[in-house]
Amino acid sequence: MNVILEVVAPRLLGPAFVVAVALIVKGYVDVGDGFGAGVIVALAIGLRYVTLGHERAESGLAVLRHAPAVAVGGLLVALAAGFFPVLSGDPPFTHEPGPNEDVVKIGTLELMTPVLFDVGVFLLVTGALVTLLHHLTRLTGARP
Amino acid sequence: MPDRPRHGAPAVAATVSALAGFAACLVGWLTGGASLDIAWAPTLDLRLDLALDGHATLYALLATGIGAAVFAYGSAYLPRHLEHEERPRSEERRFWPWMVLFMVAMVGLACARDLILLFVFFDLTAVASYFLIGFDRDRREARGSALMALLVTGISAVALLIGAVLLYTEYGTFSVPEIVERADATTNTVAASVLITIAALAKSAQVPLHFWLPRAMEAPTPVSAYLHSAAMVAAGVLVIGRVHPLLSKSDLVLDGLFAIGVASIVIGGLLALAHDQLKQILAHSTISQYGYVVMLYGIGGEAGDGAASLYVLAHAIAKSALFMTAGTVTEATGETRLSRLGGLWREMPVVAVAGGVAAATLAALPLTVGFFKDELFFHAALDAGGIAPVAAVLAAALTFAYIGRFWVGLFLGERRTAPRRVPWLLVAPIGALATLAVAGGIVVAPFADLAGDAATVTQGTTVELHPAYHLDTRDENLMALGAWLLGALVLAMPRLRDPVAAVVQRAGDVAGPRRLYGALLLRLNHLSDRIHDAEMRDLRNSLAAVMVPGGLLIGIAVIATPTGDAYEVGAVARRDLPLVALLALCVLAAVTAARDAGRLRPVLALSVLGFALAAVYALTGAPDVALVAVVVETVVTFVFVGVYSRLPRSRRDVLAGSGPQLRRRNLIAGLVAGVGAFVPVWAALSRPTFEEPFAEEHLRLTPLAHGSDTVTVILADFRGLDTMVEITVLAVAIVGVSSLLRQGRLW
Repeated sequence: MNVILEVVAPRLLGPAFVVAVALIVKGYVDVGDGFGAGVIVALAIGLRYVTLGHERAESGLAVLRHAPAVAVGGLLVALAAGFFPVLSGDPPFTHEPGPNEDVVKIGTLELMTPVLFDVGVFLLVTGALVTLLHHLTRLTGARP
Repeated sequence: MPDRPRHGAPAVAATVSALAGFAACLVGWLTGGASLDIAWAPTLDLRLDLALDGHATLYALLATGIGAAVFAYGSAYLPRHLEHEERPRSEERRFWPWMVLFMVAMVGLACARDLILLFVFFDLTAVASYFLIGFDRDRREARGSALMALLVTGISAVALLIGAVLLYTEYGTFSVPEIVERADATTNTVAASVLITIAALAKSAQVPLHFWLPRAMEAPTPVSAYLHSAAMVAAGVLVIGRVHPLLSKSDLVLDGLFAIGVASIVIGGLLALAHDQLKQILAHSTISQYGYVVMLYGIGGEAGDGAASLYVLAHAIAKSALFMTAGTVTEATGETRLSRLGGLWREMPVVAVAGGVAAATLAALPLTVGFFKDELFFHAALDAGGIAPVAAVLAAALTFAYIGRFWVGLFLGERRTAPRRVPWLLVAPIGALATLAVAGGIVVAPFADLAGDAATVTQGTTVELHPAYHLDTRDENLMALGAWLLGALVLAMPRLRDPVAAVVQRAGDVAGPRRLYGALLLRLNHLSDRIHDAEMRDLRNSLAAVMVPGGLLIGIAVIATPTGDAYEVGAVARRDLPLVALLALCVLAAVTAARDAGRLRPVLALSVLGFALAAVYALTGAPDVALVAVVVETVVTFVFVGVYSRLPRSRRDVLAGSGPQLRRRNLIAGLVAGVGAFVPVWAALSRPTFEEPFAEEHLRLTPLAHGSDTVTVILADFRGLDTMVEITVLAVAIVGVSSLLRQGRLW
């Protein structure tokens, strides 16, 4: 494998994360959402798998083994963001703050439940794709 | 037997949860009921509408009360069953969750007042019953029976869903009370009533869809004692009772119920007389007994509905006790046939007495709650007039005869097989239910109140039931006496009885609906195999199987819809030039992908096509779609290259068999698929989309949702529920991949 690629690929993960965070934070006012952000991070990790091979890719980044937990956690976050209004008798996906209410902002980040939902989608997509990468790159027994 | 305590824990937990549920339902009934109504998806009119009204209380108390007795019985039965089958005790874990799920689904079904919710719980019981009937999955018959129960009750449940949708189109709601309030006897409503009735009758094992129930006796005894007395089969009449005001809009439906009920009583009763296997006798008795209930709902009115409710209650108590009696006898002796058993009363006096009380309840003898079920039954039949009273006496006589044959054959006469000792938990639940039956025979008021409350919901007006002992010669008493005499006569004359029963059984075997089911299933399987073989023969066929029917369907749609100005060839302006260039690139890439004989080049060409399309989206003002297209295209290329790197080097196998005939077929399939895709896209692009009210509404509301990117707001807010379901699919996909590739290990 190309030496340059081998050096560059693992270092792409940081920028990918930055892009993902930007996509989520700006999501509600600009292009992009949790799904796109999740796929971008997963692609950066996928590139790592291609250049380093699955063993080195995972041993060098031990946090990857939590991918299924991240996926499940993302699903729970999304469910919670969507269904908490049911507790107060509203239909699901009645987001807070409601129409004509003020939104608390930290810089560009808006504190509201749709963004939380988007974070859940991001975690689920990232976790799911990394888990699939893990399983599919392990299919070495069947190599013809 | 080495018995570690943790094995028993699920059974204890199940029993305790059933008892707790029973107590909760009882408290709920005594305090006047409870209800819960959450409109969780109002735009789809989906509601979580549950109410513990009279009707719900009756069935919820049955599901939890009988459940507690049967679960306690099962905690002793299942370990012995697994030991006989030489299976590890850990398999209990595959049993109890389904039992508890079944109970929860029954309680939910009883409380549901929304047709969609009703359908969901209805199907949930079918799914749970599949795993319970097929619990002995190593045996072929058990698997076949489970499948049969699932297919017969599951396919007919679709009729319930269609009926619900029909009612929705007419009345704009799924809520049963609202529909009942507004309903008229229109064709649509009657059609919906018929469909719902079909689903319910199949569930209650009524003729001609009764054949799944005797087969389901492959299940372990606790399953039969629960599902086939108080739960699964009761679910059908539960639904009939719930929508009964709707059914009584049409005399046709009521007459149909009456006729099917009588047919089920007769056929089930005669077959119960003919069979030798203990559980088969009881299964056919269940068909016959739910025939009574269906017949009573066919009679309708206060008398009919009240009698039906009390009948369900009394029958459930008696029948589950009888199933457990059969199970205990089989456990003690190892025999399942009536002809090899007899004279057990000396060794098993408690079982004999408790089983005797249960049999007496079914036969409607005095001092049991069963007497009152028949009193109300006769009363309703007298009210209905016509052939109903005669049918009622004959039905009761038949019941007396077959259940008498069952009990006498087990406990009296000459002893044929010596019993072993059985644990007390295989006896106590039968005793508890028998005690309940006798208590109801002495103080009937609580039972009558419960049934009256249930009938009040079914009927729509307050129904009060006053069953009591009357020591006079009123018609009901004379009918009961007549039924006992006739029944005793049939019981005492086996030479006359047995040939008739045998002829009916033979006729059912030769020309019954079960043969039709078998033949139909076989044909369907053959057809499915042939389609599958043709589709899976090679990659060409697999692709064509999707593309060609898709193209043909679109062709039919295009021909069927008027297409005046749908197709326009727009003008190309100067500012469209980049777009045209990109589209030309797309065409080039597509031609390369189709024509190139290499391996990697077509893949790269496809990815060029995808990125060029993403650029087109970006240029036409759909940046969100463009972003998703770019990332998805990258993933697809990534996966494609990954898969191709694992293909064999030789291409001979791929190229084999490309004769002129195949080329022509490819050409035709390609043309159908290509034109089928091109025409609708052209039609869609010919009309501007932004004039549609949906898009305008979304654009208008976006600022209110604190957003300025409409697509994201649609995904997270307006259609948030859709997104939720879609991402859940992703989570399910992980589970699928990990169970296919790694035996369910997530990492």
